[in-house]
Amino acid sequence: MIAVVGGRIAAQAASPAPGTPGYKAPLITDTAGLQGPRQPIFFRHDIHAGQDRIPCMYCHNTVAVSTEPGMPALRTCFGCHQIISGSTPSHQAEIAKVRKAWSDRKAPEWIRVYWLPGYVHFPHMRHIKVLGTGPESCANCHGAVNGTTQISQVPTLKMGWCISCHVARSVSRDCSVCHY
Amino acid sequence: MSDGMDRRRFLKVLGVAGGGAAALSGCGIGPEPTEKLIPYVIPPEDQTPGLATWYSSTCRECGAGCGLHVKVREGRAIKLEGNPDSPVNNGRLCARGQAGLQGLYNPDRVTGPMQRAAGGTLEATTWDKAIATLQEKVAAARGNGIVFITGVETGSFGELVDEWMKQVGGRHITYEPFAFEALREGNRLAFGDAGIPTYDFAAAGYIMSFGADFMETWLSPVGFQNAFTKAHSFESGQNASMAKFVFVGPRLPQTGLIADEWININPGTEGMLALAMAQVIVSKRLGNVPADAARLGLPDAGDVAKTIGVDLAVIERLATEFTRTSAPLAVAGGMATHYPNGGQIVAAVNVLNYVAGAVGKTVKFGADLAQGSAGKHADMAGLTTEMAGGGIALVLVHGANPVHTLGGAFAQAWGKAGFRVSFSQYLDESAAGADLVLPDLHPLEQWNDSRPRAGVYALQQPVMLPVFDGTKQTGDVLLQASGKSGTFKTYLQGKWAALQKRVNGKGAFEDWWDGALQHGGVYGEAPSRTVRLSAGVVAGMSTSSEPASNAMAVVFPHPALHDGRGANKPWLQELPDPVSKITWHGWVEVHPDTAAKWDVANGDFLLVKSPFGAVSAPVWITPSIRPGVVALPTGQGHKAYGRYAKDRSFNAFDLLPPEPNAYGGRTHVVGVSVTKTAEHRKLATSEGSSREHGAQVVTVLPLNEARGLKVGELDEEEIPVYARDAERGWAEAQHEKASLGNYAGEHPRWAMAIDLSKCTGCSACVTACYAENNLATVGEELVVRRREMAWMRIERYWRGDAASPSGATVTPMLCQQCGSAPCEPVCPVFAAYHTPDGLNGQVYNRCVGTRYCSNNCPYKVRVFNWFNYAERGGEFESWPEPLSWLLNPDVTVREKGVMEKCTFCVQRIRSTQHKARIEDRQVQDGEIVPACAQTCPSEAIVFGDLNNPASKVHALSNDPRGYHVLARLNTKPGITYLARVVAGGEA
Amino acid sequence: MAETGSTPTRVTYDYVTRAIANTLGNPSRGYYILLGSAVTLLAIGITCLLFILRYGLGLAGYSHPVYWAVFITCFVFWVGIAHSGTLISAILYLFRSGWRTAVYRTAEAMTVFAVMTAGLFPLIHIGRQWYFYWLIPYPNERGLWPNFKSPLIWDEFAIGTYFTVSTVFLIMGLIPDIAAARDVATGWRKKLYAMTAIGWRGTNEQWRHYTRGYLYLAALATPLVLSVHSVVSWDFAMAIVPGWHATLFAPYFVAGAIYSGVAMVITLLVPIRKLFHLEDIITVHHFENLAKLCLFTGLIVSFSYCTENFVAWFSGNADERAGFWFRAFGSFWWASWTMNICNGLLPWLLWFKKIRTNITGLFVISIFVNIGMWFERFVIIVVSLAGEPFAKWANANYNATWADWGIMAGSFGWFFMWFLLFVKNFPAVSISEVKEVLPPPMRAKARAGA
Repeated sequence: MIAVVGGRIAAQAASPAPGTPGYKAPLITDTAGLQGPRQPIFFRHDIHAGQDRIPCMYCHNTVAVSTEPGMPALRTCFGCHQIISGSTPSHQAEIAKVRKAWSDRKAPEWIRVYWLPGYVHFPHMRHIKVLGTGPESCANCHGAVNGTTQISQVPTLKMGWCISCHVARSVSRDCSVCHY
Repeated sequence: MSDGMDRRRFLKVLGVAGGGAAALSGCGIGPEPTEKLIPYVIPPEDQTPGLATWYSSTCRECGAGCGLHVKVREGRAIKLEGNPDSPVNNGRLCARGQAGLQGLYNPDRVTGPMQRAAGGTLEATTWDKAIATLQEKVAAARGNGIVFITGVETGSFGELVDEWMKQVGGRHITYEPFAFEALREGNRLAFGDAGIPTYDFAAAGYIMSFGADFMETWLSPVGFQNAFTKAHSFESGQNASMAKFVFVGPRLPQTGLIADEWININPGTEGMLALAMAQVIVSKRLGNVPADAARLGLPDAGDVAKTIGVDLAVIERLATEFTRTSAPLAVAGGMATHYPNGGQIVAAVNVLNYVAGAVGKTVKFGADLAQGSAGKHADMAGLTTEMAGGGIALVLVHGANPVHTLGGAFAQAWGKAGFRVSFSQYLDESAAGADLVLPDLHPLEQWNDSRPRAGVYALQQPVMLPVFDGTKQTGDVLLQASGKSGTFKTYLQGKWAALQKRVNGKGAFEDWWDGALQHGGVYGEAPSRTVRLSAGVVAGMSTSSEPASNAMAVVFPHPALHDGRGANKPWLQELPDPVSKITWHGWVEVHPDTAAKWDVANGDFLLVKSPFGAVSAPVWITPSIRPGVVALPTGQGHKAYGRYAKDRSFNAFDLLPPEPNAYGGRTHVVGVSVTKTAEHRKLATSEGSSREHGAQVVTVLPLNEARGLKVGELDEEEIPVYARDAERGWAEAQHEKASLGNYAGEHPRWAMAIDLSKCTGCSACVTACYAENNLATVGEELVVRRREMAWMRIERYWRGDAASPSGATVTPMLCQQCGSAPCEPVCPVFAAYHTPDGLNGQVYNRCVGTRYCSNNCPYKVRVFNWFNYAERGGEFESWPEPLSWLLNPDVTVREKGVMEKCTFCVQRIRSTQHKARIEDRQVQDGEIVPACAQTCPSEAIVFGDLNNPASKVHALSNDPRGYHVLARLNTKPGITYLARVVAGGEA
Repeated sequence: MAETGSTPTRVTYDYVTRAIANTLGNPSRGYYILLGSAVTLLAIGITCLLFILRYGLGLAGYSHPVYWAVFITCFVFWVGIAHSGTLISAILYLFRSGWRTAVYRTAEAMTVFAVMTAGLFPLIHIGRQWYFYWLIPYPNERGLWPNFKSPLIWDEFAIGTYFTVSTVFLIMGLIPDIAAARDVATGWRKKLYAMTAIGWRGTNEQWRHYTRGYLYLAALATPLVLSVHSVVSWDFAMAIVPGWHATLFAPYFVAGAIYSGVAMVITLLVPIRKLFHLEDIITVHHFENLAKLCLFTGLIVSFSYCTENFVAWFSGNADERAGFWFRAFGSFWWASWTMNICNGLLPWLLWFKKIRTNITGLFVISIFVNIGMWFERFVIIVVSLAGEPFAKWANANYNATWADWGIMAGSFGWFFMWFLLFVKNFPAVSISEVKEVLPPPMRAKARAGA
């Protein structure tokens, strides 16, 4: 664990910040040490969003109009990956999974990382409307995704965490804004 | 909707897993579920996770053919609303329409084809095998009698059945237990035209209903109620007028509750009254009587008055009032058309309409209502004898349950038919006795069309993939069985291609078709026909009425369960009957005097015996029935059909004669002997006390008084003199608070206005609320203990004399969203609190359940979760799979121990505010519509922002008729009620 | 010392010590039967509670609009019981009425255990018992606080304070007696008493501090007698329900509380006296005084009943009138009349000295008063709600279920369990204070000299 973090820091020190030109996502040797649940396909935001600088909304394309950000359809993945097949064997192995999924018409079953109970209503579009669609705005809640190898829950997602932000930005703290 | 994705995955698409599971966990404790996010392989264009998609379709809960807008979230239909484009229902829906979803997701649906095995039990089979069997049976039965029974089918499916029957030499019977034989007979007798005209309630200046329950089950209830209200409602102003509504009959149905006057009359004599009125009109030359009216030879009103026991004075008054307007309307239907002399009653009423000049004005032949196309009871009676005689080799049933509705003789004959095929979605009585069950798709899953009335063509489209893979559209099955190519969709499109030419629709078929789908069909006007009154009509009428016996029993259709098809929908079972307020079981209506004579109390069981059968029913004592007459609803008493319907009280059809009457219809009024039994039960009613005890919940005004009314005259004095200063101080304190934190700045004050002159008590709003807000149904046992979860109830108070009321005043009672709410200060945890936009918020996940708020609520509109109604497999589980699929993901499913109540559909308010904010604009007045207001067929409920002087609700809250319930408690309610106005004999 | 005139002369310091110390001796079989039945009742209550926790409050008899019923009735009942304790020990102490000495220990113990019982009910009756702590103000990340406007929050503080103070009061009063018990006790008890006596040796120094401290504590406890039940009454008075919404409620409830409390003291003392042969120490005289107190408070209560009904009529408020009409002649008439007879009529018997001095008679009357006072709370809570005149349409009848009765029985089990354990392990009558009111023993010579 520590080792990996150390390694990542080293890598970042050498290259520019994630999401900026010339950023190179670190080479991950020990996936066991990564935070967050292990996904069916080892999808790396630090490569897609950080290194290749793909806008968040390219994949999560309903985030600005809907309460739900939307998970990219398999077609979206395959759109690129029918051409891009990966540079390293490990990458190739993962991308092969994507292609297989496409040929089987069977979407991968991602494990949900960000979960709110049914009595909390979080309208993504309202927050995007205010914060903007850039990675920095998403980072407010999801952390520096474009520098993250494997997604894990960054904030507590507890009410206090929501409130602190609403207080800081003097947004309504009326209960029935989120709870109904 | 139609890409190749399989159902399971389709439904587990992002948002559903989250929405569903999270919604069900509710305010639940324990570990959060580890969920899967399963994206689409290919995203459908018309679906955005988290946003609703709306599809147009047509309601098939009855034959009226109301237009639907279906709200679909992540591939699941979660709410039905009326289609504003449809001329049939103007965007409104009744309780039965709202409950269509519970048919779609019914846990007792047949999930796949079944065939009766050698052992005699129904066992699952494959479609190929099943259809093969069907084909060979048809081949074998050719010539030995093939009959296809369907409900009233006015569209392409009906035509397909006709074609197929022609092809195989069978016949097609359309069967409706409450058909309109008498109406057609009466029109034939009077005008020589057996069509069913449209009745223009909206244009009427005076409305008389001879037994017609035109707001419940008669022809086109929603459309009629909507139009009726336009005529009958009262718009404040000096010379405001309203159409008086008189109901004639031995029993007040829901339709009669709103009546301004009730002529309580012997069953069977309605027609005589109509003729007597006609005679008065003709002899006194009231209005502009047509020339040929004199030659009718009408009976003398005086003589009639004696025979039917209605004062001549009353008859003359009615005649005068009836002709005072240029466009009166008299309709005969419901019970009046189920007497042995029903045809004649209709004819008599036609005469009345004719002499008063209503025909052509308010009674329009031409745009005929298609329900007339339903077959006669005589057809089924004939079939019964044939089957009993072994003359039928193959009988197929679709959209009807004759074994339940015809009972006895038919059920036995049914057993004698050679081979029985059912296309039912549920294992109802007929299907249970079938040899082959080929479950149809639910109307919301299938392609189809219907023609509610001439000129109107309504379309159905699948709004989601079938809930059960094993079900198959009957249209497709028939095409396959008859060896035709293509699917029913292509067949349908073929028909519509022809239709496009007929109505000369513009553009390429595809575009025209898409347009039609979008609007739910194509709507045109039909050319009108003029009819003349046949001279001999009156001569042929007998003036005798039914022989007196121990009691007359009236068997009427249950407004929600109808002939029983609604009985397996918990929403409809738990919906209090608009008149009796009884849920989950049947009853027999007895007048207080009769009850005293028989020495029975509410809940005592009576054994009601007719020459044809007997039922044992609990007594409900009510002044809304004529002494000496008892009334029993149909709908219950199922022996199969599903967990909610099976073995509930009695089947009232058992009392009725199987053989057809003079005009080929079924007689629904029989002489019975009544005996009291020892059995007793507590009625599962939502009615605590039918009297107000001076609480002044409803205000009723005579028309004249209403005209002269000034603003604010009605409202009670809110603050007594001695409390003024205190109140002023309080107001200032409130003002200071209003400048703190969330409360600072400008906010809307959400409010509602309810017009009691429009509300008919139909209770559509109640079911709409259940559908929108994930209300649990708790079942009979808990309703008896008064634990129903309804956020909104319809209170019904008899008007006039307690023994024989002149009608009732009904009022929807829901959370008043008080400005100074008693519930708020007493909540120890701020679960009940005041939102900046003026709602009495209820934070379910904060509530600990002290129930103090309910104790302190004078309106008693808060309900408590005594049990966990969402618990899987729990004793009181309210949403067994797949019923839970209709849960609204935008609304928390409440946990046990939590208080809940109406919040003006706050989820709708919020989502509209989101939308407006995203589009950088203000919320428009009328943009937010709560479920109850949306569905209200009489448009009695108006919602909006009281702080917006331009809003409709602001105007209504300043209406002279406006008042606040229990205003004396200084609760400052957000709901303004507009007093009920009752028309007398005013000019 | 006129008060003690009725104490026999054979009762000396030494006699008292032994008599009371004897109560701590090996339990008789009767004691075990009582304790056993108490524990059984408690077990029943716990079982019912477990069912409610699993399936929900629906198991109890609630029906719309009766959303408070037996549980809250029991809550008020037990808080009421608690009241006489502080009254007898604190107020009578300040008034220097010597007769209290023989009975106040029992009263105090009863107070503490009654409050312990009452405190359970608000927790049992809420819908989501596992979130009871949301009612307690504590800083949290959500920045959420309870609603200090809500009477239920006031309640919580009132009950909390009362429990603390009365407990301290009880323990403090015990110290000298525990010391006395320590001196006669053996075995593990000696150790226990040695510890709880916190080194009491009865020196003048200790006595001076002790009496002073006790006096101050009494002064501190006195206002609570009035405040606690006033606050409890506001749970109702603050609501708009006719039959609740009355300014009369605070004094009315306090009087009722003391009334029921004294009655319960009698109910408890009679058997203890028998069981532990304390006839010489707890004399008829004591009972008579209790009876007088009972009569006095009883009359206040009856007066309150009259006032309530009079005001309901005199106010001319239709809702009030409807509410009280229902109370008297509605479907719950039997409850109301039980209340009126038990609380209003029976105590008039206590005008007669014959009855006041007849232990059995007193015992019977006290039982009836207890029943009557329970029904008073039932009438105020359930009947007022059931007869709520505002939304008659929604009104339904109420029937309690096994869950209600089971948990109520459990509360009695819980209370008596603690009480029985107490009287076996600690002096049920104050040794030191009884001695205070006895003629001090003198040496023979001195007597001769006198």
